[in-house]
Amino acid sequence: MTDAIAVEGLGRRFGAFHAVRDVTFTVARGEIFGYLGANGAGKSTTIRILCGLLAPTAGRATVAGLDVAADPEGVKRRIGYMSQRFSLYPDLTVAENLDFFGGAYGFSGRALRRRIDAIVEETGLRALRDSATQSLPAGLQQRVALANALLHDPELLFLDEPTAGVDPASRREFLALVRRRVRRGATVFLTTHYMDEAEYCGRVGMMVDGRLAALGTPAELKQRLVPGDAWSVRSARRAELQAALAATDGVRAVHPHGAGFRVRCDPARLDGATLAARCREIDPAAELEPGTATLDDVFHAVVAGGGVA
Amino acid sequence: MTRAGLGAVVRKELRQIGRDRRLLPMLIFAPLVQLMVFGHAVSFDIDNVDVAVCDLDDSAASRTLARRLVADGTFQPVGPLPDCTRPEQALLDGRADVAVLFPAGLERDLAAGRPVEVQVLVDGTNPTIGRFASVAAQAFLDARAAELQRERLAGLRSAQGFERPVPTLTVQSRLFYNPRMQSAIFMVPGVAAMLLLLITTVGTAMGIARERELGTLEQVMVTPLRPAELILGKVAPFVLVGLLDVVVALVVSSWMFDVPIRGSLLVVFAGTLLYLLSTVGLGLFISTVSSSQQQAFMVGFFVMMPAILLSGFMTPVENMPDWLQPIAWVNPVRYYVEVLRGALLKAAGFRDLGLQFGALAAFGTTILAASIVRFRKRLA
Amino acid sequence: MSAPGRLRRFAIRTGAVAAKEATHAVRDPRTLYLALGMPVVLLVIFGFGISFDVEDVPIAVVDQDRTPDSRALERSLTTGHEFVVAARPDDPAEVDRLFRERTVSAALVVPRGFAREWAAGRRAPVQLLVDGSDGVGAQSVLGNASAALRAEGRRRLAAETGGAAAPLAAEVRLLFNPALRSAVFFVPGLIAYILYIVGVLLTALTIAREQERGNLEQLFATPVGRLEVMLGKLLPYLALGLLQALLVLAFGMAVFEMPLRGSLGVLGLGTLLFLAGALAQGLFISSVAGSQQVATQAGALSSLLPGVLLSGFVFPVENMPLLLRALASVFPARYYVDLLRGVMLRGNGFDALWGDFLGLGVFCLAAVALATLGFRRRLA
Repeated sequence: MTDAIAVEGLGRRFGAFHAVRDVTFTVARGEIFGYLGANGAGKSTTIRILCGLLAPTAGRATVAGLDVAADPEGVKRRIGYMSQRFSLYPDLTVAENLDFFGGAYGFSGRALRRRIDAIVEETGLRALRDSATQSLPAGLQQRVALANALLHDPELLFLDEPTAGVDPASRREFLALVRRRVRRGATVFLTTHYMDEAEYCGRVGMMVDGRLAALGTPAELKQRLVPGDAWSVRSARRAELQAALAATDGVRAVHPHGAGFRVRCDPARLDGATLAARCREIDPAAELEPGTATLDDVFHAVVAGGGVA
Repeated sequence: MTRAGLGAVVRKELRQIGRDRRLLPMLIFAPLVQLMVFGHAVSFDIDNVDVAVCDLDDSAASRTLARRLVADGTFQPVGPLPDCTRPEQALLDGRADVAVLFPAGLERDLAAGRPVEVQVLVDGTNPTIGRFASVAAQAFLDARAAELQRERLAGLRSAQGFERPVPTLTVQSRLFYNPRMQSAIFMVPGVAAMLLLLITTVGTAMGIARERELGTLEQVMVTPLRPAELILGKVAPFVLVGLLDVVVALVVSSWMFDVPIRGSLLVVFAGTLLYLLSTVGLGLFISTVSSSQQQAFMVGFFVMMPAILLSGFMTPVENMPDWLQPIAWVNPVRYYVEVLRGALLKAAGFRDLGLQFGALAAFGTTILAASIVRFRKRLA
Repeated sequence: MSAPGRLRRFAIRTGAVAAKEATHAVRDPRTLYLALGMPVVLLVIFGFGISFDVEDVPIAVVDQDRTPDSRALERSLTTGHEFVVAARPDDPAEVDRLFRERTVSAALVVPRGFAREWAAGRRAPVQLLVDGSDGVGAQSVLGNASAALRAEGRRRLAAETGGAAAPLAAEVRLLFNPALRSAVFFVPGLIAYILYIVGVLLTALTIAREQERGNLEQLFATPVGRLEVMLGKLLPYLALGLLQALLVLAFGMAVFEMPLRGSLGVLGLGTLLFLAGALAQGLFISSVAGSQQVATQAGALSSLLPGVLLSGFVFPVENMPLLLRALASVFPARYYVDLLRGVMLRGNGFDALWGDFLGLGVFCLAAVALATLGFRRRLA
C-alpha cells in the first residue's frame, strides 16, 4: 500500500521568490501530519500544491497515489480541503452550502440528501441546517466548513489553520471530530500555529523560509532538538533577566513566550537550583516553573539553528 | 462535465440572487425605470427652432413673409429683435436659435424685380440644430423665390407668346422606418443594449471577484468542479436575467415609446443570446484581471464607457477616424444595436444581419475562451 | 479665544489635513493617472469618436430616367465629400433591402420622365429616401442631401431665367460654429463630463478608505473639526482638479481647435465652482457610503448619468419632460456645459451666464454642507 502523501524535492517559485524549495516527506495512511511554520514560511503554498490548486515548479508530489501535477482533478475527488479563512457562502444556509458543494462533487438527488443528513448529524449541526452561515459564531462556522470538507467522505483531509481565531472549547470539539474521522481511516494533513495542537499529530514537519527544517514525531523532535530541561520564567524585569541568563554557562536558549520567556539548559552543566538562584540574584520576585520541552521550544530551536531534518 | 456540478452552481447562484434584497430589484426594476427615464431623456427631436425677426421694411410684403415663415410651426417666433443693428445679440443671449433680417426696401425692390437678400443668422453651436435650421430657412426662401419667379416668368413668357410654364424641381424626402423622426424609436434599442451591458457585465465581473474576495473561489476549485462548469453555472442566471430584461424592454418600448416590432422576435432573441455571450464573457474577462470587486467595477466602468459611447447608439460610427475604427470593429454593443434596430425597425432577417451575427458570435466565443484560459492560468 | 487666533488654528489644522491628503494623492500613481492621464485619453478618444459629422455616406441611385438631366442631379449630390454612390439598383423596391443590409444610408430616386416633365415645365419630382433607423446620422444625411438638391434646383431655375439672380435669396450665416463641426459642440460637454466623473471618483474613495482602515477614528481623537477635515480633503484635490481642467482645456483647444472667445477669468471661476461641487459630491458619497465598494459604485453612477444624459452634452435639456428637466437642474454638469459653450464659443460674460454661476454656486455650497453633515452622522 502506498503512502497517502509522498512529496519529493517539491518546489514552487513565484518569479524570483522561492515560496517552497526542495521539500521531501511522506505521510502514511491514517496519520495526522502537522505542518508548522511562521507566516510566509510556505505552509499554505505546499497545501495548495497538494490540493491541486497550484502547479509545482520543481519536484513531484503524489496524493492518494495520484500525481498532483498530472491529475489534479483526480486528486480533488479524493480530498477534502478547509482553507485558512472561512470560505463558504455567507448568505446561504448551512444546508444550501452543503447542497452546492455536494453538487460540485457530483452528488445529486437522494444520495446527496442522505449525505447531508449524515454529515449534519456527525458534526452536530442538525439544528442549524437552515441558519445563514454568516449568522453563526466563528466556532460553528469552522464546523460547517469541516462538515463541508467531509461531505464526500474524502480519503484525505487538508486543514489549513482550521482553528485560527476560535475559542478553546470549540477547538477541542473540532479536533475531536477530526480524530473520529482518522479512526475511521482518513488521513489528515494540518497546518497550524498552535503548538499544543501539533502535539496531537502523529508527526510534524517544520517549515522555515520555504524549506522543511525538521521532520519527525513530536517526541523525536523534542528529544533530538531540545534535549534537557526547560523552564518558564516570569519576571517584572524581563529584558534584564533574559540577557543575564543568555550569558550564563549551561543555558542553551532563551526565547520569549507569552508574558514571560522560556529557558532551556543542559542538565549536566546547570541544574534547577542553580538556575533559580541565578534568577533571584537579578530579580528576587522572579517566578520559575519547571517543565519539559514543548514543540514551541523545538520550533524556536529550529528557527534559530536553521534546523536539521 | 457533470450535470450535477453545473446544476449545483446554477441553483446556488439563483439562491444567492434571490436572497439579496437589493440585487433582484436592481436587475429587473432598475432597467425598467432607466429605460423609461432614458427613453424620455435621450431625444434629438428638434421640436421647434426659436426665431427672432427684424423687419426693417415693415411693409405688407415683409409682414406677409414673416407670417408665412412661422406658419408651419417649424419656426417658433420669440418676438422681434430688440436691436436690429446687432442681430447676433439674440443668439448670444441664447434667446433665439435663428435671427432673420428683412432689409429696408424689400417690398419696393421685389416690385421692381431687383434681387433681395434676406439675412439669416443661425446658431451653429449644435450642428444638428444648426443644419436643420439653415436648411429650413433656405427652403422657405427658395419656395418663395420660386413662386415669385414663376409669376414673373409666366408674365414674361405669355407676353412673348410662349406656352410653356416654368418647371420646378420638387424633392420628396421620405424617412424610412421612422417617418416622423421620433428619437425614441432609434434611441430605445440603443438604451436597451446599454442596460444589458451594464447589468450583465458588471454583474458577472463582480460576482466572480466577490468569490475571490470571500475565498469561496478557492474552496470551489478544490472540488472536482471544472472551471467551465463553474463559469457556465455562474453566467447562466445572468443570461436568464438578460433575456428577461429584453422582454421587459420590448414591452415598455412598444407600449410607452411606440417602438415597432416589425421583424421576427426570433432574430431579436437569437441576437440577444449572442450579445449576452459577449457581455458575460467580457465580465468574466474583467474578473480575471481584477483582484477585488472594487477593481472589477472600475475596470468594467472604463471598458464600458467607450463601448457605449462609441457604439453608434448616439452618433454614427462610420465616420470615426481610422485609428478609432478598430474599437468599432470589436465593439459588441455596436453590432447588437444594429441587430436591434435592424430587426425591430427594418424587419431585417438573419440574412441581412449576417455580419452582425457573425461578429457577435466571434467576439463572444473569443472572449469566453480567453477568460476560461486566463481563469485557469490564474489558479495555476 | 480671540477670533484671529481661532482662524489661525483653523487654517493650521486644515493645512495639516490638506498636506497629508496631498501626499497620499501624489504618492499613489493610480490617483495621478486617474486625475491627469485618463481625462486626456478620454477626451481624445471621445472627442474624435463622438461626432454627428457624416462624410462619404454610401447612397443608392435609382436612375429610371437615364437622361443628362437625371445624371446632373446625381452629380449635384456627389460633387462634395458627403455622398458616394454604392449601389445602382433598377428597382426602387431594392432600396429597402439595401437599407436592411446597411449597404446604403440613403437613396436618390429619379423617376422615368423626369427630364420630360422638366422640359414640359411641370413639376419634376425626385425622391430622397433616408434610412431613419440611425437617428442622428439620418438627420445629417437628410439635411445635407436636401440642401444639395435644393441648390441644384436653384441653379436650374436660374438657368431657365437666363442667369438672372433669384428675386429673393437667403444669405445664411452660421455663427459660433460656421463649419458645423461636431467637435465644437461636443468638446465642452466632454470636458464637463470627464471632469465630473473623475472629480467625484477622486474623492468618493478617500473617506471610505480611511473609515475602512480605521484612520478616521484616530483623526477624530484629535481636535480637528469636521469642516476642517472636509476642506483639508477638498483643497488638494481641487488643486489637482484645476491642473486637470487646465490640461483638458489645453488639449481641447490644441487638438480640436476649440476657440476661447470669452474671458479666461469667467472660465476659471466657473471651473473652480464646478470642480469644488463635484469633489464635495464625492466626499458626501464617501462619508455616507461606509465602504469603498459602495462609494465607487455610487460615485460612478451619480456622476455618469447626470454627466452624460442630463447635462445637455449630447441631448438638449430643453427638450426633456418637466421631471427630467427638474432633475437635470439639480446637478452641476448642465450649468457647466452651458457655461463652457457660452464662454468658449459665444464669448459670453457674467451678464449672460449669471444663471449658470448661481446654479454651480448653490450646488457647491449644498454639497460641502451635506458632506460635512454626512460625516457626523457616520460617527454618531
